[in-house]
Amino acid sequence: MKRYIRAMNAENVKEWRIELTYRVDFIRGMLEPLIFVFPYVLFAMALMGGRTSSVLEGLTGVSDGVTYTIIGYIFMGFLNTAVWGMGFALRKEQWYGTLESIFVMPVPRWVYVMGMALHSTVHQSIILFFQIAVVYVLFGVILNVQGILPVLVFIALMLISLIGLGLMVSGLTLIFKEGWIVSEVLYSLITIVTPIAYPLAVLPPLLQKLSVMMPTTYAITGIRHFLIAETMEFTVWDAYSRLIIIGVCWVVTGLLMFHIVDRKVRREGTLGEY
Amino acid sequence: MFWAIFPVLWVIPFIFQGEALVGGVTSPEFGDLAGTDQFIPFVLIGAIVSTYLFSSLYGMGGSIRMESYWGTLEYILGSPARKISILMGKALSESISSTFFVATQMVICVVGFGLTLTVEKILPILLTMLLLVAGLYGMAIALAGVTLQIKESRSLVHTIEYLFYLFSPIRYPVGIHPLISLVSVVIPLTYALIAIRGVWLLNQTMEYLWKTVGILAVLDVVFITFGYSIFYFMEKKVRKSGVVSQY
Repeated sequence: MKRYIRAMNAENVKEWRIELTYRVDFIRGMLEPLIFVFPYVLFAMALMGGRTSSVLEGLTGVSDGVTYTIIGYIFMGFLNTAVWGMGFALRKEQWYGTLESIFVMPVPRWVYVMGMALHSTVHQSIILFFQIAVVYVLFGVILNVQGILPVLVFIALMLISLIGLGLMVSGLTLIFKEGWIVSEVLYSLITIVTPIAYPLAVLPPLLQKLSVMMPTTYAITGIRHFLIAETMEFTVWDAYSRLIIIGVCWVVTGLLMFHIVDRKVRREGTLGEY
Repeated sequence: MFWAIFPVLWVIPFIFQGEALVGGVTSPEFGDLAGTDQFIPFVLIGAIVSTYLFSSLYGMGGSIRMESYWGTLEYILGSPARKISILMGKALSESISSTFFVATQMVICVVGFGLTLTVEKILPILLTMLLLVAGLYGMAIALAGVTLQIKESRSLVHTIEYLFYLFSPIRYPVGIHPLISLVSVVIPLTYALIAIRGVWLLNQTMEYLWKTVGILAVLDVVFITFGYSIFYFMEKKVRKSGVVSQY
């Protein structure tokens, strides 16, 4: 176990070193998620003609459409850690020509992906704090600080599921090679069915059924519940327990899938194919 | 296939967001800024037209970096062909595939989202799109030149994409904020979207929109001249300093 943790940390340190080598790019990476949120906020403002909506208040108990949208999108940034940070990591190693070197390390391959998860999670957390500070200044977003502890639990439980997703995407990348398609498709589909800037009630029945299978649904709604008092269609304990169940399922599936694909590409000799 | 379908799917969260905020498919406040209170056709057209933005940024702007990944950059730069021919070749290939994507998206919008498009509107829309493509590829040529120098341009491309989303009327009317409105005047996408939405949604004629289309044409000349100058300068610079093959 100690060996695995050392390997994970080595991967984490390696990624930080690469990132900090391109300093301008690192700063841009910090600012970019903030710019990403603005179109959603400005679209909301254009529709509402301000920042409040009586329709939204009727649906969620929150009238401030700007804060509602911002919270949804900045916490949804953790999905990036799974589909891009972890899932796309193997493709990057392939580009650099270092994939084979990593695969002959004396630890299981999933340990490498977990190292990427560690790096991506820390990276995303720094971005999150930065985003909260900026939106506080720019939009006067006021959050209930007493809700931070349960919010951290929601984030931790969501991350467990997302690690499972990251392992699945990593596995698929080994087969499809151009892993960005897998990452982009999964990211797009999950963001559609997750109630990021709208409540579950506005989704069509079929999408609602898919939405309740997503960890992001419970996490984003739960986080908004504690930070801005959104009314939820389920209890807090329901949200926690479902997140745990989804987390276990996704991690087991992710590990299994990664293991199967890893064996397959090594047996067939397609690992080095570009 | 991905680029033909997903830009339209990315609009779906905006539709649900609109439903949650205004309880329907129209917003009078949105109409005051955009000229139409129907926000769904507004964002759908934004999504369709922005396909050319993706194509120019990722397809052309990022193409030099891809050559570098594949180890073929030196062969291309060392070939006796004029660089402008190589860039035009990349632009042509990207334009053809993007036009296929745009046509598919138009069909999806008409069939799936109930957007109507009459035959007489197709020609003015195509003309405007052609002018847009010229301007965007001018920018992409500059980006290809910058890539030769800074190498890791993938992230820069991402940022430029986000800035275009922020400062042009792809998702919302630029009148929402004075700063956005101010910056949008130098972006070709702004004029293209105003003209295309004018023809498609507001039934305006090209005679009415000639000023908008004229500015777009002028911006094209500026962007292409500027883009090629940047590429020429950067190419000379990296060949002199010997950093072409650096990764």
